[in-house]
Amino acid sequence: MNNNQKKRNFQIEAFKHKVVVDSKYADKTWKILEHAIHEIYNHNASGLSFEELYRNAYNMVLHKFGEKLYSRLVSTMTFHLKETSKVIEAAQGGLFLEELNRKWADHNKAVQMIRDILMYMDRTFIPSTHKTPVHELGLNLWRDNIIRSSTIQTRLLNTLLELILRERTGEVINRGLMRNIIKMLMDLGPSVYQEDFEKPFLEVSANFYRVESQKFIEGCDCGDYLKKAERRLNEEIERVSHYLDAKSEAKITNVVEQEMIANHMLRLVHMENSGMVNMLFDDKYEDLGRMYSLFRRVSNGLSTVRDVMTSHIRETGKQLVTDPEKLKDPVEFVQCLLDEKDKYDKNISLAFSNDKTFQNALNSSFEFFINLNPRSPEFISLFVDDKLRKGLKGVSEEDIEIVLDKVMMLFRYLQEKDIFEKYYKQHLAKRLLLGKTVSDDAERSLIVKLKTECGYQFTSKLEGMFTDMKTSQDTMQGFYATHGAELGDGPTLVVQVLTTGSWPTQPSVTCNLPSEMSVLCEKFRSYYLGTHTGRRLSWQTNMGTADLKATFGKGQKHELNVSTYQICVLMLFNNADCLSYKEIEQATEIPSTDLKRCLQSLACVKGKNVLRKEPMSKDIAEDDSFLVNDKFTSKFYKVKIGTVVAQKESEPEKQETRQRVEEDRKPQIEAAIVRIMKSRKVLDHNNIIAEVTKQLQSRFLANPIEIKKRIESLIEREFLERDNSDRRLYRYLA
Amino acid sequence: MGIQNDRVRFNVGGKIFETTATTLAVAGRNSFFGAMFDENWNFQTENSHEFFIDRNPNCFSILIDLLRTGELFIPSNIPEKLLYREAQFYGLLDHVRAAKWGPFDGNQVRFSQAVMGQAPGDGTAIRAGPDGGCCVAHGSIVHVYDWMLQELPPINLDYQRVNDIGWIDAETVVAATSERLGRGRGGAALFGAATGELTHRFQVTHEDQVKSYTAGALSFSTDYKIFSSCKGRSNEYGIGVWDQITGQQIDFYYEPIGWSLGDADRLQWLDNTNCLLVATLFPRKDNCYISLLDFREKEHGLVMVRYRGSNHRREAGPRRDRYGREQFHLSRLMKGKMPDEPCYPKLALYDGQLFSSMNDSISVFSGPDWVLTSRLRRSYGGSICDFSIGGDRLFALHSEENVFDIWEAPPPPVT
Repeated sequence: MNNNQKKRNFQIEAFKHKVVVDSKYADKTWKILEHAIHEIYNHNASGLSFEELYRNAYNMVLHKFGEKLYSRLVSTMTFHLKETSKVIEAAQGGLFLEELNRKWADHNKAVQMIRDILMYMDRTFIPSTHKTPVHELGLNLWRDNIIRSSTIQTRLLNTLLELILRERTGEVINRGLMRNIIKMLMDLGPSVYQEDFEKPFLEVSANFYRVESQKFIEGCDCGDYLKKAERRLNEEIERVSHYLDAKSEAKITNVVEQEMIANHMLRLVHMENSGMVNMLFDDKYEDLGRMYSLFRRVSNGLSTVRDVMTSHIRETGKQLVTDPEKLKDPVEFVQCLLDEKDKYDKNISLAFSNDKTFQNALNSSFEFFINLNPRSPEFISLFVDDKLRKGLKGVSEEDIEIVLDKVMMLFRYLQEKDIFEKYYKQHLAKRLLLGKTVSDDAERSLIVKLKTECGYQFTSKLEGMFTDMKTSQDTMQGFYATHGAELGDGPTLVVQVLTTGSWPTQPSVTCNLPSEMSVLCEKFRSYYLGTHTGRRLSWQTNMGTADLKATFGKGQKHELNVSTYQICVLMLFNNADCLSYKEIEQATEIPSTDLKRCLQSLACVKGKNVLRKEPMSKDIAEDDSFLVNDKFTSKFYKVKIGTVVAQKESEPEKQETRQRVEEDRKPQIEAAIVRIMKSRKVLDHNNIIAEVTKQLQSRFLANPIEIKKRIESLIEREFLERDNSDRRLYRYLA
Repeated sequence: MGIQNDRVRFNVGGKIFETTATTLAVAGRNSFFGAMFDENWNFQTENSHEFFIDRNPNCFSILIDLLRTGELFIPSNIPEKLLYREAQFYGLLDHVRAAKWGPFDGNQVRFSQAVMGQAPGDGTAIRAGPDGGCCVAHGSIVHVYDWMLQELPPINLDYQRVNDIGWIDAETVVAATSERLGRGRGGAALFGAATGELTHRFQVTHEDQVKSYTAGALSFSTDYKIFSSCKGRSNEYGIGVWDQITGQQIDFYYEPIGWSLGDADRLQWLDNTNCLLVATLFPRKDNCYISLLDFREKEHGLVMVRYRGSNHRREAGPRRDRYGREQFHLSRLMKGKMPDEPCYPKLALYDGQLFSSMNDSISVFSGPDWVLTSRLRRSYGGSICDFSIGGDRLFALHSEENVFDIWEAPPPPVT
């Protein structure tokens, strides 16, 4: 609409001329567009006609003035931005950011409107000439003329960092404004955000936290320090979510982690009076949990925590298992172990989020110190014995299960499981024979647990013991059904028939039973052998019990519960008033150690002294003599006369058990060697040791020297031979 | 704008139109209407009841109809080019493009138009571009057309013979050319489709020396690799591999003795097996080879399979399908029909349909049993020497007259 406004100069035109668009046309059109751009920047666009401006821009591109349009756009926008930059610079103090934010919003709107007008250029001319599109151009010019202008760049950065510092020191700042400014930097491209803000921000933050952490670590205890570090970390995460780029979260938390945690890790865990050991000691789950969640953020953090825990457990565990005070009471000893285990289990679940690596560390630590004490297997068995004898009375089945499960856990740590088995068998035998088991279900349940842990072989003999008990009951019923009538009022006999091999082997010492009893025993023997051919019975008099009725001097009657040995002794006094030790020994043929113990419990225990000893003393001597204690009184009708039994094994007994175990291990080691060699045919020494150890692991830790001895023995017996050329190799001889 | 004000009145070149802001909103923010009714400019609606637009009213009515219905109906008295120009003004070209033709289906395509060229001699190859344009190689020059079939500046690489062409994307064409004996250069290069400008030359480096070579057939993989058969002077015979994005040579598969990879007439990347099919034939020796380069192992593209056959087939295999089955159809079609100087049949597979050119027609086979379902034929132009499918269009290049046909499916029917 502009080019037909030319002055009407009369002019003769050449007949043929190239049609050239009036060169002033472009300038005129641009003037209109330039004016519009000025108006837009001056918030005065209401008088503009979009259609006209769009058409003009379209025409310029159509008439090949795209280049001109574009370059003039660049210079006009640059001009306006330079003006803007002066206004922003002039803003005082706190108004600076607000002015910048306002101008940024204005600029965005202006660029949008300019782009609307120049849409045709943006769509056709710019792609074909590989120029920067209008929107991006607007961002670039803003970046170069405002954000990176020498006067604004550092001021902006300092203002932002200052505000963040103020927020860190507890002031409230205008987060909305911060968000807008940071968003602007992000809109200008990741490099602007990173170079002009993020990098310096991270450096300043690192310094800040370096200084602060130094201050904290000198002034706070470990728990407080961790609380502060956690709070700082959360603050930074919150800051990112409020007004920083989400990608900065990992970077800034990394800075906090590095400065506040990684750099002070060792000092924190070992802090005197408040470090990790104290936390463990005092069960400070919350602090420990905080430590875990903070330390897991830094490399080697968790391993540091874990190492401290491990060495602490090992240290305390070692003290516990070697404490002579604790060794006095096996039940107490095992209870301490269980308590210790509970404590750390709780710790790991409450503070260390059930971390597998911590559980493993705990297990290996327990395994380490439990096996430091060679009596651990015995004590654990004694603990079970105690629980199954009486400790579990009145306890619900579930609680029994819990205790047994805990015991099994300790059992798992044992390296010498075969020793446990030995003791367990002995203790179980006593419980069964003396009828001391509280709950058959609990007994069986534990056996099932052992079976799942160690396999069928481990428990087959234990199960055999239970079977014997059951069969004995049936046998006794059968015996009394056939012979009951003819026995009349005589003593009642209860026999338990024990399969040889299933039960702990006892040196079979027979003693002379009172005649009333031996008759009965003979009857039973003939009954039993009559129903079971091909068997042999031998009496284990050392393990039986008896109930007898006694009448004392003033006519008071009591029922006495005594052992077989004791009844043998007591029955002698039916026919004599006073007997010397020698006479008793001769009559009963009870082994002297047992006899002494038996007499001691009959004559020397206060309140149960049914016999009187001459002379009175604590110990039994060979020339003592014994009388019935006519003055015996007891407020109970039934009196249980215990045998003085050592609960714990005495030193020689222990040695003996140990020796028996060693003896039992030999065939097992040999069997393992033969099994391995049978499948491998040829193997060198080190590998045999390794494989044998591995195979036997579930039962005990095989001693390499012992394995070597077994190999030599097998070579002697021509199961194996040494290789002729390589002496380290063994060969299996079929 | 309230409901009352939803109505909009235009005066376009003197003709009054009324429509609604809702209809105009279909144009999108990135258009004349989108900008005009943006809140930045919105204040004007209150003041005046009529908007003047100094444009062609006839085209405006077509475009406003397009915005209303999504369908494009061009009366015969309006040249398409005029409409395109107006659409470009309003920023509605994409809408026009989307409404002009429907999704490709070999059994629905109709002949749309034929484009005459002025290049002498036989066309070498035609390739459909991703947005409906195409490029045609004639001797030593490549003509490029956009989807409106406006011819763009032609492409040449020192006017050397073009052996194969292809599209990297809607903006970029790659051309494989012969080396000029004694003068060097040739090879493969990238060009801007819109400008015809050379943007990158693919180089073959042998023992750290840049070599001149003749680029033969081209193929592209989905992981942005370009393959080309290469013939050099001494050692550089084989298959060159370049990165589409960086343009750098990634690898070079030197041909083993007795194998003719560098002479290959056709390369075909097989997507799901990560193999490159290489077909070579020697017209005078009456035999041909098909080799398979296996890229599944990272080791140097193992030559896995090698077929050897008589020289009756030129095509190495259709896009994205197994080889054997296609050949079966081909031999059935060719029985006794081969003219003396044949245009070799070409194959293409598109969306489960097999296309096969033979003489002056293209057969379409569909379904699992590859039943012949359609035949595309135009009586003008002689035998079809090459065809290509892309951008929902089929382009067929004829050998006798310098003309190519465009086939496209009509937009979905009015419901």
